[in-house]
Amino acid sequence: MAGALSDLKIVELGELVSAPYASKLMADMGAEVIKIERPGTGDRSRQRGPFPGGEPHPEKSGLFLYLNTNKLGVTLDVATPEGFGLLERLVADADIFIHNLNPPEMDRVGLTYERLAKVNPRLIMTSITPWGLSGPYRDWRAEDLTVWTAGGVCVLNGAGPEHPELPPLKTFGHQSGYQGGVHGAVATMGALMARLRDGEGQHVEVSEQETIASMLEMTFEYWPYMKMVATRLGAKPIQPVETMEASDGYIYICCIEDHQWDRLVEVMGNPEWAKEEIFADRFKRAASWDALKVFLGDYVRQRTVLGLYKAAQAKRIPLAPVSTMGDLLNSEHLKARGFFVEITQPVAGTHKYPGAPLKYEKTPWQIRRPAPTLGQHNEEIFGARLGLDKARLGELSKKGVI
Amino acid sequence: MAKKLPLEGIRIADFTWVWAGPYCTLQLAHLGAEVIRIETRTRPCVTRMLPPWPDGKFSGPDCSGYFNQYNQGKKSITLNFKHPEAHEVARRLIKASDVVINNFAAGVMERMGFGYPEVRKLKPDIVMVSLTGYGDTGPYRDYVAYGPAQVPLSGLSSLTGYKGWPPMHAGFSYADPNAGAHGAMAVMMALYHRARTGEGQYVEMSQWECAIDVLAEGTLEYSMNGREPERNGNRDPYMAPHGNFKCLDWPDKIADQVVDRWISIVCADDAEWGRLARAIGRPELAADPRFKTLAARKNNEDELEAIITSWTSTRDPASAVEHLQKAGVAAGVVADARYLSQDPNLTARDYFVYKQHPEVGVKQHCGIPWRMSATPCEVRSPAPTIGQHTDEVLMGTLGYSRAELDELKKKHALD
Ligand SMILES: CC(C)(COP(=O)(O)OP(=O)(O)OC[C@H]1O[C@@H](n2cnc3c(N)ncnc32)[C@H](O)[C@@H]1OP(=O)(O)O)[C@@H](O)C(=O)NCCC(=O)NCCS
Repeated sequence: MAGALSDLKIVELGELVSAPYASKLMADMGAEVIKIERPGTGDRSRQRGPFPGGEPHPEKSGLFLYLNTNKLGVTLDVATPEGFGLLERLVADADIFIHNLNPPEMDRVGLTYERLAKVNPRLIMTSITPWGLSGPYRDWRAEDLTVWTAGGVCVLNGAGPEHPELPPLKTFGHQSGYQGGVHGAVATMGALMARLRDGEGQHVEVSEQETIASMLEMTFEYWPYMKMVATRLGAKPIQPVETMEASDGYIYICCIEDHQWDRLVEVMGNPEWAKEEIFADRFKRAASWDALKVFLGDYVRQRTVLGLYKAAQAKRIPLAPVSTMGDLLNSEHLKARGFFVEITQPVAGTHKYPGAPLKYEKTPWQIRRPAPTLGQHNEEIFGARLGLDKARLGELSKKGVI
Repeated sequence: MAKKLPLEGIRIADFTWVWAGPYCTLQLAHLGAEVIRIETRTRPCVTRMLPPWPDGKFSGPDCSGYFNQYNQGKKSITLNFKHPEAHEVARRLIKASDVVINNFAAGVMERMGFGYPEVRKLKPDIVMVSLTGYGDTGPYRDYVAYGPAQVPLSGLSSLTGYKGWPPMHAGFSYADPNAGAHGAMAVMMALYHRARTGEGQYVEMSQWECAIDVLAEGTLEYSMNGREPERNGNRDPYMAPHGNFKCLDWPDKIADQVVDRWISIVCADDAEWGRLARAIGRPELAADPRFKTLAARKNNEDELEAIITSWTSTRDPASAVEHLQKAGVAAGVVADARYLSQDPNLTARDYFVYKQHPEVGVKQHCGIPWRMSATPCEVRSPAPTIGQHTDEVLMGTLGYSRAELDELKKKHALD
């Protein structure tokens, strides 16, 4: 069965996470994606692991292999006039062009929507950048961490008030990039729906900083509503919502509603201390957290993670284990759902990758091909599709254009 | 004629609550869909009941900054499904909708009579999305989940933390907006398919799985090498320095507390390190054998960070970042809400939204993280008060008469 997006053609000029994740989400639903990489070294993510055996190799990066499933890969230096000309020919026939060049690089390459719209007025161009295409930070440099902090989220995480010397703590991985990517896919799909109706392409720009700022839970609003600032050093408004140590690992104790706490008290065998007035509701439990964490901690330490998790869930209390990677790969639930998928790529071998974020009844998520090796489809795309002959391809390759 | 928003004309019967589902439908509202939240005063969404509240005191379900942030641009009707008449209203709404979406625990929609088979009977080309914590299938399908607990469940906690410390959190319910954004994309992909083929479908999602999708580097270390990645604070194996550095505290206190301030600094390569060394007035360190190469900087990272801190710790964060960026170094303020509310970039880009809300007045809210060149991009209205649009939707969209509406109200079907 064909994927929901099987009639779409996408050209991606992406590095690391944001634009590659956006186009992966669409490629996995059936879109054809031609990924453009820099000749020679390719996408920066090829240099980042994990690598099988821990040995760096540009065709074996787990990050690259994950983010670029189902794509065709070409190399092209778009900063050269010939390279830009080939980019124009690729987008002439595409529905979507998605990239994450920073604005200074866009200026250097001469990449604008107007230029590409000349060759294809129906084109949707999506620019995912750290700070946006306007504003005083437009030309600033950025890495994943700097956007994460400037978006207002990093300040929330870290050791509590006992350790003010420890810095605000980054969340693992490339989260600014992933969020830029998925929100980029959202905005691009919006533009595509508009094009179905209006017949027109357009330029979509996504700011990672704004993306992060748009997901601060209730913390941002504490400032305009109450002139309070939420940081890693503050107390939580309700409790318990904390990681605690069980006899064989860590478990997350989570009672959002009072009735969930009441049932947790039953699971604990109705201890006397739980009847204290200072623990009577979620706000009081937060105010009395110093006392509560001692009682609760003593109880949790006697239970196994799985034992307490299942006992709580049987009473509809939303506790959760602190999963290790091994727990995930071996989870009976995720196995039954077939979440992790095996993908074979000839150089890197066969490994298990995270699978579908959604399950469609009629138009399946599907891995049709592994991520491309560097320049794997140059001949197919530039030769067979654009009609460049062998001699011309050789010439462009000698000049470093492809 | 004014251009229409991308999803104008698409109607969403929004059964979602808490954060993940409402975050999803917020994206669709941002894109112009008519999102109609189905709520009940007998069991209000938890975010209506949580702080922040104006003046710090709970004063009813319309005052929470939490709810008011994530429900901008939506409508709200109240239906109490303890009454059969309320079900009939919902059935009429579903008939008039393009999308039905919920994030109740698995099985709840079925028990309420709105499982996919029933919904499809009402509207054959409906797109129906279920966005539960664990998905509709598998041995844990009946488990309940909340955003904060999805962070540890997803594996993110065990990957996040200071070196040698226990697992930490993300500091917020990260899996919720993550799943919500994936959900919004899923809705539109299904709508796109429907536009091409006339065919609706059921879309099943698990918040847990969406979260694992954004930490692939962690699971791949295990599936490729059988190893659990070590927690390593803010450091990065391929870049140094890579961290947050202490600056001067805010000059004033907030609620009698000193509030500290930090900035992030990253050098992606040796050249960027050279620029940083010059920018902090230590040009000789660029070629110092302790720091000259990435490998050297990784070996001497404690010392490296101490040197940078000795420069940042006497400085105001915004001007330190400005100085580093001018020198060509990636840096950013570790923004707290107070800083963010006046961030020069967000302000210049008109990111924030200021709408008149009937209960809380004008409050600063976060806006839309994208711009579009051909279609408008705006938050059209503040978050709805509970049931604000019941009359409008029932009479305007669903064709109830005033008398029928009053009758339903008298029976408490619209509580
Ligand atoms: C959030 C969650 C834990 C809350 O659990 P809960 O309070 O036990 O609620 P459930 O989802 O199980 O059930 C909702 C109940 O409200 C009732 N309800 C919902 N809308 C109603 C309405 N308009 N009128 C009357 N009753 C209504 C349902 O009938 C159901 O009652 P039942 O359990 O008697 O059948 C649960 O919904 C869940 O796990 N959701 C998926 C994960 C998620 O999204 N979490 C929140 C993200 S932060």
